[in-house]
Formats: sequence, C-alpha cells, structure tokens
Amino acid sequence: MSVEEGIALLFLLAGCAFYLAGTIGLLRFPDVFCRLHALTKADNVGLGLVCVGLALLSGQARVASMLLLIWLVGLLAATVSAHLIARHAYERDAPPEHEGPS
Amino acid sequence: MMALLLDGLIVLALVSLAVQAISGRSLFRGIIHFVVFGLTMALAWARIGAPDLAMAEAAIGAGLTGALMMVAYRRLVAQGDNHSPRAPAQKSRLAIPIAVGSGLLVGVIGLGALLADNPPGEAGLIVLETLPEYGLGNAITGVLLLFRGLDTLLEIAVLLTALLAARALAGTGDSSATARTQHPETPLVGALLAVVIPLTILVAVHLLRAGTHETGGAFQAGAVLAAAGVLLVLSGRVSRTDTAGPLVRLGILAGLSAFILIGLMPLLYGEALLTLPGMWSIYLIETAMMVSIAAALILLFADAGGLKRDRRG
Repeated sequence: MSVEEGIALLFLLAGCAFYLAGTIGLLRFPDVFCRLHALTKADNVGLGLVCVGLALLSGQARVASMLLLIWLVGLLAATVSAHLIARHAYERDAPPEHEGPS
Repeated sequence: MMALLLDGLIVLALVSLAVQAISGRSLFRGIIHFVVFGLTMALAWARIGAPDLAMAEAAIGAGLTGALMMVAYRRLVAQGDNHSPRAPAQKSRLAIPIAVGSGLLVGVIGLGALLADNPPGEAGLIVLETLPEYGLGNAITGVLLLFRGLDTLLEIAVLLTALLAARALAGTGDSSATARTQHPETPLVGALLAVVIPLTILVAVHLLRAGTHETGGAFQAGAVLAAAGVLLVLSGRVSRTDTAGPLVRLGILAGLSAFILIGLMPLLYGEALLTLPGMWSIYLIETAMMVSIAAALILLFADAGGLKRDRRG
C-alpha cells in the first residue's frame, strides 16, 4: 500500500466514523433538534472526509474537482433541508425545552 | 470476496426494505422505506453494469415516485382527522403464501437462467456493427431509436395517455401539492434554488448530449429536468392552473409530434417507416422527448393542467 492509499484509507475511515456516529445519534437522540444536530455532522464532515479520501485514491484533478462539487451541493441541500425541518418542528411543537446558547 | 460481500449486503437490504415498505406500521414509514428501496435498487443496477437503468431508477423510481407518494400522503392527512393515516391493521391470509410463491418463482427462473448456456447474442452483435454508421456510441440509445423506434414512440404516447387519464380523473380546484405554509419563506430556499436549478438544467442537457455515446438519454435527462420542476412547484415558484397555456401544450406534445413527423419523413423517399435520416434527427427527437417527459412528469406531480409562474412579493 502506497503512502497516498494509506492517507486515503485514514480519511475514508474517519468519514465512516462520522457517518456511524451521526446514524447512532439520529436513532438515539430524544428530539428533532438533537437528531438534526447529529445528522448534519454525518452529512457535512462525513461526506467531506469520504470525498477527500476518494479524491486522493483517484489521483486525478478532474475527479477531485467533481467530488468537491458533489460535496458542496450536498452541503447546500443538507443545510437547507435541516433548516426547513427544524423550523417546521419549532413552529409545530413548543420551543425546545433546553434553551442553550445559540 | 469484497464484491460478493457488497452484493450480499445490497440483496439483504433490498429484501428487508421491501418487507418494511409494505408491512410498516404507518404509511409514512412505508413511503420512506420505498424511497430507500429505490435508491438501493439503483445501487444494484449500477453494480450489475447498467448505469442507464440505475440513473432512471434513482430519478424516477426513488425521486419522483417518492415525491408523488408524499403528496398523496399529505392529502390523506389533510382529509382524515388529525391522527396520521395508518396502514390497514389486519393482513390478508394470502399474503405469506403469495410472497413465498413469488420468491420461489423468481428463484427458479433465476436458477434456470444461471444454469442455461448463453446462446450467442446475434441481435446484440448486429446492433454493435450498425451503430458506428450513425456515429452512436451508446448501444442503449441506438436500440431505443434505431431498432425499437416504434416501442420508444409508443412509450411517449403512453406517457401522454397517462397524463390525459390523470387529468380526466382529477378534480378541479385547489391542490395540496402546492399548498404552502403560512409563514414567510426563509431566504435559504431562494438561495438553494438559485444554485440548484441551473445545475439541474446543466446536468439534464449533459445527460441528453451524452446519451449518444455514453450513459444518458432522453428519459434520464427528462427525469432530472422534471426534478427541477418539482422543486419549483414545491417551493411555490410555479403554481398549477387548470388549463394549459400554449407553451405547456407545446412542451407536452413536442416529443410525440417530433418523433411522428421525423418517423414519417422516410416514406417520402420510399424508405421504411421510422428510418431515422441521421444524427440530427436523433438529437432533435431526443431533445423533444426530454422536454415532453419532463413536462408530463411535472404536470402529473402537480396534478395540474398547466403551470404558471408565480411571482411572490
């Protein structure tokens, strides 16, 4: 295994760890807002790490730029949908019980 | 080994998702499982080397059908009293025998197909020999337009018929597909649309152009374009009307009429019906079909006769 492959493997594993943690959070956290918090970690950082790992594995600038684009579009969609879900939940139910610093 | 493991996981996921989709505790869970089933199915198509089918499955099977089901679900919620509609509680006694029987049937057919010796694919060889004359690299587009032109023509006709049937059944009046929330819209939605709509159109045109030599084609491009339209309908940028304006009518009919007109042309020169006269005709037909497919899918989704732009203050 070359050095690049080793580094790529580390990125992929780290990305998988974020996805795993995000999924566990989605299943175990008590309310919509906590679940969204867990989910966005998987969506944003997990996807980013996986894309970096895959870009390193491919070793081509063209593939790497397409992966970057995929990550950016994914970020955009995840951000807006998380915002919409949170706002809907906020307006439907009572405000969240624990009002932390925003 | 890794490949076998991955395939096994996909098969397991497909079966369990299918079971969950039809036997879930609530309709909502069933819909979500169905969408995930569609995405996993797309993965399976991609694994067995059919990227065209994978794309169509992801765009239509998971995306558009899922969106249609969500709209139907929302209407059920709006009609019923406040609790969410549930799947019928008691299962039919025939459910398990039918499931086992279908599984056995598929298994036997699959086993038979695996055990039989493959006859040499004569038709496939002829297709691959003919395609370079037309400058087509994608065998699927070639077969769809050059060899099975009548089938493709009728598919467009079927889509149009489905749209007409849906319009005939639909009541007039307000539709909850475009029902929007009362509170003011967040600026994020506008920003999302400003980025996603041009990107979607770019992808659709790329798929259409790529369809002649690699994965892609009118159906995939049309489905992607329809997704952009669904987004515009959902976000209230475009709203439904009961009757179609001239532009929408043109869009719906473009594919079928372009195909028929170009398909009839060879008769003037004494050639066979639907003999396409060259690359330009393929591009023209594919483009017109993309527009028609997208228009029909959007109208089916919005339960609308026509669409109009909705400027929001």
